[in-house]
Amino acid sequence: MNEHRILSRRVLLKTMAAAGAITAAQLKWWEEPLLRPRRAWGAAPVRFQFSVPEPKRNALVDSLVQRFNQIQNDFEVKVEFVPQAQARQKLITSVAAGSPPDCCQIWDNWVGEFEGMGALEDLTTKAKDWKHYKDVLPLAWQTVTVKNKIASLPWVVTNDALYYRTDRLKEYGIAPPKDDWGFDQFLAFTKAFTKTDKNQYGFGMRGQGTWAVLYATEFMYANGAQVLKDGKVVINSREAAEALDWYLDLFRKHKVCPPSVPTDGWRGIVEGFGRGVTNTYIHNSGSAEEQKGFVGEQNFSTVPLPLGPAKKRNSFYFSETLTAFNKGKSREGAWRFMAWLMEDEPNLMYTKGLGLLPSRKTLFERPEFMQDPAYRGFIKSFPFSIVSPYLAYAGWGGKIDSEGVPLFQQALVGKLSSKEFLDKFAEVLTKNMS
Amino acid sequence: MAREATLVAPAARPLLSRRARELLTGYLYLIPVILALGCTVLFPILKAMHMSLYNHVLIRPQEYGYVGLANYARLLHDETFWLSLWNSFLWVFGSVSFQFLGGFAAALLLHQSFRGRALVRTITLLPWIIPGVVVALIWEFIYQPNYGLLNDILSRTGVMTERVAWLANPGLAMPAVIVTNIWRGMPFFAIMLLAGLQAIPGELYEAARVDGASVFQRFCFITLPMLKPIIVVATATRIVWTFNYADLIFVMTSGGPANATQITSTYTLLQAYSNLDFGYAATLSVALLLIMLVFTVFYLRITRGLEGVA
Amino acid sequence: MRTPGRGLAERVLGGPVLWTGLGALTLFAMAPFVWVLLASFKTRAELYATPIVYLPTALSFANYVEAWTSRLTPFSRFFANSLWVSSVTMVATTVVSILAGYALARFRFAGRQTFLLVFLATQMFPAVLLIAPLLSQWYALGLIDTYQALIYSNFSFTVPFTVWMLVGYFESIPRELEESAMLDGCTNFGALCRIILPLAAPGVAATAIFAFVASWSELLFAITFTSQTEMRTLSAGLLFMVGQYEIQWGQLSAGVIISTIPVAILFTYLQRHLIQGLSAGAVKG
Repeated sequence: MNEHRILSRRVLLKTMAAAGAITAAQLKWWEEPLLRPRRAWGAAPVRFQFSVPEPKRNALVDSLVQRFNQIQNDFEVKVEFVPQAQARQKLITSVAAGSPPDCCQIWDNWVGEFEGMGALEDLTTKAKDWKHYKDVLPLAWQTVTVKNKIASLPWVVTNDALYYRTDRLKEYGIAPPKDDWGFDQFLAFTKAFTKTDKNQYGFGMRGQGTWAVLYATEFMYANGAQVLKDGKVVINSREAAEALDWYLDLFRKHKVCPPSVPTDGWRGIVEGFGRGVTNTYIHNSGSAEEQKGFVGEQNFSTVPLPLGPAKKRNSFYFSETLTAFNKGKSREGAWRFMAWLMEDEPNLMYTKGLGLLPSRKTLFERPEFMQDPAYRGFIKSFPFSIVSPYLAYAGWGGKIDSEGVPLFQQALVGKLSSKEFLDKFAEVLTKNMS
Repeated sequence: MAREATLVAPAARPLLSRRARELLTGYLYLIPVILALGCTVLFPILKAMHMSLYNHVLIRPQEYGYVGLANYARLLHDETFWLSLWNSFLWVFGSVSFQFLGGFAAALLLHQSFRGRALVRTITLLPWIIPGVVVALIWEFIYQPNYGLLNDILSRTGVMTERVAWLANPGLAMPAVIVTNIWRGMPFFAIMLLAGLQAIPGELYEAARVDGASVFQRFCFITLPMLKPIIVVATATRIVWTFNYADLIFVMTSGGPANATQITSTYTLLQAYSNLDFGYAATLSVALLLIMLVFTVFYLRITRGLEGVA
Repeated sequence: MRTPGRGLAERVLGGPVLWTGLGALTLFAMAPFVWVLLASFKTRAELYATPIVYLPTALSFANYVEAWTSRLTPFSRFFANSLWVSSVTMVATTVVSILAGYALARFRFAGRQTFLLVFLATQMFPAVLLIAPLLSQWYALGLIDTYQALIYSNFSFTVPFTVWMLVGYFESIPRELEESAMLDGCTNFGALCRIILPLAAPGVAATAIFAFVASWSELLFAITFTSQTEMRTLSAGLLFMVGQYEIQWGQLSAGVIISTIPVAILFTYLQRHLIQGLSAGAVKG
């Protein structure tokens, strides 16, 4: 006993001493990045939070920031990479604690919420005086306009379309979908694409997260339904319920979707297609570059969503924004950096690398976007693209996530009928119209 | 140190009585811990208690104001809260009981002497070291119905013909996440109980064997009673931690499908960071703190867990 | 001391049925790890193959090299950060809880039980609601992007448990020992340092490793209180491999293996003393 006691104390002390010595010796090196002298006239660096840190995006954003720091000497931009799943939480916490970054890349459906918190810098005047103001697509401005104020710069835009496998299309002898196809053809198409014995499914439906409800809503819009009419929530209309029934039956009745649908979020649908388990899925153009790596550039294409029985259709349009916070310490620097990211070269570099579309017309119309088959479905969908109707009220964003999605999943697994779900969902929306 | 030295300084009659000196030293020793916990936990908890009396929705700063117990009244009528409380009960009970049983079994095994025991003991500890979010991602992949590990093994070995959606089926989702949590939590019990086993004096077993006690009797009348204090402390802390543990479920199912795995901790997270309703989230936390506190006091009283220090 | 115990356990576990069950248990504990270890050697194509490819064709260390040296996600740096934060947390937690544990175990004063219950109660509060007040506190003190903020915050979950454990250890040490030391002219603090601590050293080691492991895998504070990549810890660094549409399984797995190594080494080295240490006080307390 005695021997062990001494041994363990000695071991413990030695270990601690060793750890202490190593760390003390390196302390200076560790703190070095913090002690690095500030540039120029000692301005506080501009803190830029970037929320989708994948290796590729990291490298892209890092090189953009480096370039910016090289071409001007007034201040330094420091990029803060925050893991995607934690980005929203971190941003909300830092706003609540009064220490937001100077600017941040966020999605347009968060803009209303942060505006509601009174955290955003009003960019209306600056944006209207900006040289590219007229060049940015009007729909893009619409995604970032809250209460008639421009709250952010729309960095890139995108909309929804259907990805499908062209190689398997040939393999199974299925006719390629036409741009103006309908619900019935969609069903037949996904059925022909379902080969359960080969572990392949016709349609990768999304069942988790806000977009599960958004994609379903696009099908309801195809049947003439609307979320808001004359200032009232009317998403529980008959047309909506019919279309939703049809949509959910893809999973419930026709079984053209994989069994994982209720837990499939972004990663689920993208990876399912990438691994060849699903042969189609709905998404924005943001996963096109991923799929080029997964299934190969020549093996997939995109097509607009089908026309509904009402001969209508809409693709929801949204943007990835550059947003400045009014509690930031270097607001002027933030604006200069954001505006620079909208210039031709940086913007093209970012969008081309990620499969997203530039929000400036002159860039958008360039051949690398207009002629790539991977973007075809998205470009063709622009004429009937609308800003997501759920952006109407800031209070809706979180509620769709916390209450809408669980309700939607109940309809998905058959615990609620489509009509019951829509009634409850409409009630949630009506209660939060602010 | 210097202060104590003066207190204990030799004098014909000490300035303070022995009892007073003891008290003073006791409180002195407690100052660091009060500082450490006061700044990091107690102060935020008090702040949250205060916040729970306010209508505090971040996106509606204009509606901010004192509302008394309105948030608590809302809690009583919140169906999802009661559902999540029931789910939490299943989650805690399922997780901790099997973590305990599995950990106990592992401890008994690791108590044997065999070659490479140190290595095996270390391996047992590993699930505890990885951050919960990463554990969740690994298990999410294991459970994936179409390209996941579990279904692949089951179908290759011919046990299963139809693919099972472990996490997407409302009936299976809770058991599935509980299994993950059992995996993650077993090492804690294994290590704690192993420590307890090694402290039981061997003479006790010898004596019992001489008296003709069976293996089962020795286990029930020596091992279990001797381990009881450690079992009580370990289960009590584990129950509290598991009740508050949101990472696994949040990554694997986000409380879905259809609230099947919505537990109180994920529901609180949802209220705070999806709905931005910090007032209500604080209310939930305070209510849950009270529930846990009542439970713990009863648990410790019944098992007499505080006896050793009382 | 160990021989008779082994005799009992051997008989209890002697049946082949039980051995099989325990074998399955070990498999259950290890299988996901084996998978991660294999994944860390695989190429991207092998990781994304459907149906699953179990064994990597070649033993490639590319994922490790990439993770360790990458400029944007430098695991070498994350590793150093984690080591520093966890070590300091470990030492500070131990000092604080030795004093508190000793006071609670030795001095009779009002509210001792309340103290212990309050410690446990702090663990009943969800950390997600702690981060907003803590962030504004650290921000006001200028501690964002410093190790201090992480270390102090880690106290919130290490200290309460270690105090509970140490109260038990100290109670198991006979009071007469330090009383005789004090009669010899030792101060109370001197007695604690010279008499009690050496006796409780194994227990102290046990609580220390708990503090180290717990802060090693801490994530929420690490993400919230640091912004710069060079201040991230390992657990936060691992999440850089989790993208919106894709998980970089190769580098993530390599990162997981890297992050388990120091704790594994420390534990293998200390486990015999550690486990005896744990037992000494825990059974009493």
